[in-house]
Amino acid sequence: MKASMLLVACGVFLVFLTSCASSKKSLFVLQSDPDGRTGEIVVTNEGGSQVLARSGDATEVKDANTAPSAPFRVEEAEIAKTFGPALAAQPAPPGLYLLYFRTGSTDLVAESEKLITEILQSVTARQSTDIRVVGHTDRVGMRQGNYMLALDRALQIRSMLISKGVDPAFIEVDSHGEDNPLNHTQNEIPEPRNRRVEVTVR
Amino acid sequence: MRYLSSIIAAALVTCATFSAASDGSVGRVKTVKGSASIARGQSSLPAVVNERVLQGDMLRTGPDGSLGVILKDDTLLSLGPNSEVVIDQFLFAPAEGKLSLVTRMLRGTAVYFSGVIAKLSPQSVRFETPNASIGIRGTRFLVKVDEG
Repeated sequence: MKASMLLVACGVFLVFLTSCASSKKSLFVLQSDPDGRTGEIVVTNEGGSQVLARSGDATEVKDANTAPSAPFRVEEAEIAKTFGPALAAQPAPPGLYLLYFRTGSTDLVAESEKLITEILQSVTARQSTDIRVVGHTDRVGMRQGNYMLALDRALQIRSMLISKGVDPAFIEVDSHGEDNPLNHTQNEIPEPRNRRVEVTVR
Repeated sequence: MRYLSSIIAAALVTCATFSAASDGSVGRVKTVKGSASIARGQSSLPAVVNERVLQGDMLRTGPDGSLGVILKDDTLLSLGPNSEVVIDQFLFAPAEGKLSLVTRMLRGTAVYFSGVIAKLSPQSVRFETPNASIGIRGTRFLVKVDEG
């Protein structure tokens, strides 16, 4: 008897929760990326689903059981008014830097040496405490050896950054060996663009 | 039998502990204005630039607040005033094929710019509001959830 009453109480509470939740109207607006590309979002609930594929298209959802509305346009002024603070709070996208190496070594090519200064400036400008350094090789040589070479390259860049004053605790190092090429090649083909360290500054 | 089940439970807890990212964080706070905080379990800490964000954290802003975070997969998420968003799940281990990002918005306004997980595995990314679920195919969108 007690158990069944508890069950009923739970049921009532669930219905209450659902009705609370579904009364919150939501609005979705698709935007193009900073680089100009536009992707797609699919808004789905119990009532149905709606695809947004054009920048500036919006859909509104009244409640969980009513399908998202047909796409409509939202004025720029309306977007600025509603989303201004959230848009202003968007962090700068992470900075990505590619450093290239001489074949089989941890020596940077001359142009890449200059990039180190840019990386340091970016670390300062972003007050970054989250720097990721990932080493890569081409497919010349053994896979296992390349894993170690890529790791040595990443550690070399880590040392350079530390020697210029970056806190070691902020740097995360990894090796992808020959497994994550920018340009896919057959085995044993030299490819300078794959002999790299990728530095991400967040 | 009871003994066995407690061993299994202990093993599960251990697995859960080690499945987290290297420093346990899923991202960092990068912009803060006005009142903004991170609710973690029973406690609440003020959001400051470079504060770590963990899986399960609720990001919360007051009437004058805004907040922006970068997640480990380069997803950019920012909140306007009077907003609440929970990072329910974040798994980013491409080498092991483990990818998942589930974000749940309770109220307010937000801008979401998808990152690497959405590029590698769009079906592993979900953004939820109280009355809909959004699938993301590599893009940026704005969302507003009204007060109940």
